[in-house]
Amino acid sequence: MTTSDLPVSEYDLHAYVDGFLDPAQRLSMEGYLADHPQVGERVAGWQTINEALRDAAAWKAEAQVPAAFEVARAANRRSSQRWVPQRMAASILVALVIGAGSGWIAHGPRSVNGIASVASEASMAQRVFAADTLHPVEFGPDQQSQLVKWVSLRLGRPIAPPDLSRSGYRLLGGRIIATEHGAGCMFLYESGAGVRMTLFVRPMQGIDMNARMRPVQTADTSGFVWSHDGVGFGLVSNNPLGMLHEVANRVRGDMSSDT
Amino acid sequence: MPAAVSKLEENIPSLRRYARSLLRNVADADDLVQDCLVRALDRMDTLRTEGDLRPWLFTIMHNVFVNRWRRMTLSARFFSNRGDADVAVAPSQEDKLQFQDVLRALDTLPEEQREVLLLVAVEGFQYGEVARMLDVPIGTVMSRLSRGRDKMGHFMQGRERPMLRRVK
Repeated sequence: MTTSDLPVSEYDLHAYVDGFLDPAQRLSMEGYLADHPQVGERVAGWQTINEALRDAAAWKAEAQVPAAFEVARAANRRSSQRWVPQRMAASILVALVIGAGSGWIAHGPRSVNGIASVASEASMAQRVFAADTLHPVEFGPDQQSQLVKWVSLRLGRPIAPPDLSRSGYRLLGGRIIATEHGAGCMFLYESGAGVRMTLFVRPMQGIDMNARMRPVQTADTSGFVWSHDGVGFGLVSNNPLGMLHEVANRVRGDMSSDT
Repeated sequence: MPAAVSKLEENIPSLRRYARSLLRNVADADDLVQDCLVRALDRMDTLRTEGDLRPWLFTIMHNVFVNRWRRMTLSARFFSNRGDADVAVAPSQEDKLQFQDVLRALDTLPEEQREVLLLVAVEGFQYGEVARMLDVPIGTVMSRLSRGRDKMGHFMQGRERPMLRRVK
């Protein structure tokens, strides 16, 4: 801006008020505002609001500071929050293992809930779709952005498949899975050796909203399940458990840091 | 980890300042900060950057707010008369009355505009940083800022004029 007659953008006006302009830009902005009193008045109003907000927020921050407001308290709360669901989930898991072993019990009138249902749904997805050589996924690796959009839409929250190339797995794609607990999503990965692995993701329905990672095993699949902030995860393959643990930890790290 | 925790603690005052302006209700705001700290602690090991924790913490705060708190506060607001609650806090000093006024103006904004305005004007984040935190395009940040500022301006002008006359 060399003359004050050049039009300035809304962005520039905000940047001026918030102090993001360099000295030269500031100077020409001041010239422009002097020549355009209506804009100047609007901007002056914004500046007043900025100052008032800063003062008010500082005052509010100081009022009634709670005594035990510290990280240690948060850490305590974290462990106490986890304790109950963990035990509950453990007993449900036991029920699942028994159910899977005796076959028909799982199909009885009482359906499984919570993290145990995530475990069975993840295993089922792996069993049915990972074995499918013709059409295991609805969206391939080249349609990843569509997959992410669709999955996020169906599950009502942003969900993207983690990059597991460091663990030796590449993404084959994904699909929506119908479950008793609403829409779930399956991301299918494959290792260089052709081992397929399912990452199943589904919103939790009020039970086990934050459940610790635990191993799950059926006759032909094994893996880990956990939940975080109301989203359940199941990482399952046909490989032995031990090999998956590190991958599961990585997935958990990635999936909880992206939100 | 202890170093990281103390870094976390350094940021509590600004998290609290933000939460309290966003939610108004002090108890709710402090709970929001606690929830944010819990999640931050959970993710300490996933944090790779050694630099400034603030943007990361405010991103977590935003997500906790959106996922859990927004729904709760909306329903709470529906059933409670916040005007009465504000009056119940008797302003003892003139400057506090002034704060009540700007905070009430802030209250008239939709939450997404309030968030953006506080993050920029009070917390001093760059527009790009705010866009990343809220996971929206920068144009959205700018338009929320414009609408929020203009709406607050109108509200405060409407309220200030009679007050100024009274003072004079």
